[in-house]
Amino acid sequence: MELKGRVWKFGKDVDTDELFAGRFIMGGDETSQSQYQEFIAKSGLSDVGHRENVPRDFLTKVAKGDIIVAEENFGIGSSRQQAAETLKFKGVQAVVADSIHRIFFRNFWNLGCPAVDLPGISAEFESGHEIVINLRQGTIKNLNTGKEFEFRLIIPSWFIDMVEVGGLIPYHKSLRS
Amino acid sequence: MTLVEKILAKKAGKKFVRPDEIVEVSVDLAMIHDALGAHTIARFRELGVKKVWDPARIVVVLDHYVPNKDIDTAKKCLNIKKFVLEQGIENYYEVGKGGIAHQVLVEKGHVLPGTTLVGVDSHTTTSGVVGAFATGIGVDEMAAVFKTGRLWERVPGTIRINVEGKLVPPVMSKDLMLLILKRLGVSGALFKSLQYTGPAIRQMSIAGRMVLTNMAIESGATNGIIEPDQKLVDFLKGRTNQPFELVQSDRDAEYSETIEFHADDIKEPVIAVPPKPSNAVGVTEVDGTKIDQAFIGSCTNGRLEDLRIAAKILNGRKVDKLTKVIVIPASQEVLKAALEEGLIAIFVEAGAVVGPPTCGPCMEAHMGILGPGEVCISTANRNFQGRVGDTTAKIYLASPATVAASALKGKISDPREFFREA
Repeated sequence: MELKGRVWKFGKDVDTDELFAGRFIMGGDETSQSQYQEFIAKSGLSDVGHRENVPRDFLTKVAKGDIIVAEENFGIGSSRQQAAETLKFKGVQAVVADSIHRIFFRNFWNLGCPAVDLPGISAEFESGHEIVINLRQGTIKNLNTGKEFEFRLIIPSWFIDMVEVGGLIPYHKSLRS
Repeated sequence: MTLVEKILAKKAGKKFVRPDEIVEVSVDLAMIHDALGAHTIARFRELGVKKVWDPARIVVVLDHYVPNKDIDTAKKCLNIKKFVLEQGIENYYEVGKGGIAHQVLVEKGHVLPGTTLVGVDSHTTTSGVVGAFATGIGVDEMAAVFKTGRLWERVPGTIRINVEGKLVPPVMSKDLMLLILKRLGVSGALFKSLQYTGPAIRQMSIAGRMVLTNMAIESGATNGIIEPDQKLVDFLKGRTNQPFELVQSDRDAEYSETIEFHADDIKEPVIAVPPKPSNAVGVTEVDGTKIDQAFIGSCTNGRLEDLRIAAKILNGRKVDKLTKVIVIPASQEVLKAALEEGLIAIFVEAGAVVGPPTCGPCMEAHMGILGPGEVCISTANRNFQGRVGDTTAKIYLASPATVAASALKGKISDPREFFREA
């Protein structure tokens, strides 16, 4: 499974309050998927103008298929899945970081979006670079510099199959049929 | 194997597990609350499964929006109650019956030594205080747990935090924990377990120990855990009649690291300055910083011993005229005990507002939200930018003693002064 996209470079310790502020947690109506997605997408990173670890133009220019490359400890904090959902619904298809917080890591994969942790990887990318991630081979390539990097994910054997069907809920539904 | 490895091995049906191995374990207990419960239920319904795997293993606690603050929160709680009734879930804590989920799970004897617990909340780690594997997950994963009763986990290597000596009041377990976080940093324990050992931990009350397991997550850890001892067994008496196993780390267990602390060396109360829980400094370094709000409560520090030390400092005194002081007991049980001991009267007479057991201004959910530029000193667990309101507000984390002392003066203050007088 290969993912290709444009890079947004984030700093370190991007926390879940920053990704999705607590005041919006009760806002979305999860019984209506379209309403929920729209609400979650628009509410995320709402205070980003005050943050140093997110690019200023991310909110206005992020597009479908983009990939975040972050420094260490991405997604620290709460279990609120909205922190992962807001990135997905804004179009981000994968997160690569020097290290990733456990709950965010699981949440993002469960939504069908890979999260790849590889120490030192953030130094190899700038915003605007083109990145290619090959999940089964375990490689990341920077198309601008031509450099390739290998990673080894510590995930269950069925995780990439899960991503291919769209996430944990679709995966469980596929098991039933 | 270490304690956490032994629990995960047993629940995975294996003789042996090693750090970073992927295992699938049975879930003994699953907790949802009002902040993410309705969301979990919606995702569970999407799975097309009619019944949860075991209603007796699910605990539902309303704690973030108590009582409901608006139509949205009321609607979500109605959805949760409907689910509870439909699924036959007995362990349901309606408003006024429980308190903060992490407190309720331990206090009501739901979580037992040697078991596995997952919750839709990162501070589920708190329950590791009973020697259980307790950790947080997201709502999709909880929906899957509701269906299967199983969870995959990357076996965390164990960082042993060994604490010699004994804490000298008014230095509390919170001060120790902030120093542990300073040492580990906010990502120092990613995919690791923190196991707290040593004489200072044995000396500590269960409430004091819960501060350590609660804030294990702040170092990025998967869980925090303490070996069960006689003090815990005594604590659990009358709280459960279920049998349990007192699992301990093996003598030859391999730790990924051991970090030593000496409790007697902590002379000065500690403050975590914004915006990270790991930014610990001695109180004298920020002494005099003006505050607008002081909060005593949360799953970190809203227990009886926390209220006692705060009351000891506030007794017969008045809080600063321009400072909002908020005291919120962690549970109905704590509130009742505090009432009986006269602590609540002390808070009210001092000029504090006392709230119903709920999460309160630990997060930007309900009550005590901060406005632009406001400064809050809080006994809670996180001080991220924008955690409790406006992004320009600032949160300092401290022990209940330090927060109470600061409440009196309207600025960050060293509690030792009041402690000597009292």
